Amino acid sequence: MNKPFLRKQLITLLRDAALIVALAMLVGMAVNIRLLWNIWSGQIPGSAVLNEPGSENEPLPMPISLAELSDLSADEVLLLDARHVDLYLQGHLPAARSLPWGEIESRLDDFRREVPLHNTLVVYCSGYGCEDSFLLAQRLMAAGYEDVRVFEGGMPEWRDAGLPVEKGQP
Amino acid sequence: MNKFKSIFYHLCRLLLGGVFLYAGVVKVMDPVGFAGEIANYQILPYRLNFLVAATLPFVEMLAGSLLMLNYKVRPASLVIGGLNLVFIVALSSLLIRGLDIDCGCFRPGAHSSATTALWRDVGFMVLAVVTFVGNKRRGT
Repeated sequence: MNKPFLRKQLITLLRDAALIVALAMLVGMAVNIRLLWNIWSGQIPGSAVLNEPGSENEPLPMPISLAELSDLSADEVLLLDARHVDLYLQGHLPAARSLPWGEIESRLDDFRREVPLHNTLVVYCSGYGCEDSFLLAQRLMAAGYEDVRVFEGGMPEWRDAGLPVEKGQP
Repeated sequence: MNKFKSIFYHLCRLLLGGVFLYAGVVKVMDPVGFAGEIANYQILPYRLNFLVAATLPFVEMLAGSLLMLNYKVRPASLVIGGLNLVFIVALSSLLIRGLDIDCGCFRPGAHSSATTALWRDVGFMVLAVVTFVGNKRRGT
């Protein structure tokens, strides 16, 4: 076989492979356009899901982005880590308190005695598909807290942004 | 002997295509969950995890479908081989860094260790090479 023929075959092969990848990626982006738009514009992932109709009567926690959160000081907000305590001990946002979603009912009375209802709370968990922060925020709102936000990017977005992480108890 | 080779080639093609089609279909339903599984590898920045989660299942589905349909077999097996190479590198980096996470290869939450997934991907790589080379010999 001569070289020009082989070269033409190689170019055709690579072109077809690139077309397969490009076409599939375009379809994937088109199907997930809403999710990707939310992520790129700094909104929380899954915010559309969280604001489904039917839950209009219940107060919904407001999302807070990484940029907004990193601009706030520890005096302005109380950070709450909704993950299991083992994950909290491995690493958490600076000055965050551990309040696992699974323990909220047993700890809510003590928490309410310690933290005034007018305080701003920011709840986070493992980001992405993790719902614990949203559920905890809803429970805290039902318990009377007026300003509860959810940082849905959670620990992964914070860590990947290169921001400081604390280990162990604060 | 030629008949045996032909059957072997078609079996490899259908098996590889079926596996990748299945892998794509089970991931396409939950892009946020899949983004979380990719994030566990701690390789990509936050937003890119979502881009990969939104697009990778479609690449797997399209390449897998083409293999099963016996159309554009060589470029499709090249794409699958390339994906496998990326998966093997990513899984190796997990083992080197000592991270114990679900590989996120198929259904989210279905736990496979990195070592198991690595060997499985090596097997898929062999299937991809057999399909690629076999198709060239057949001249289709």
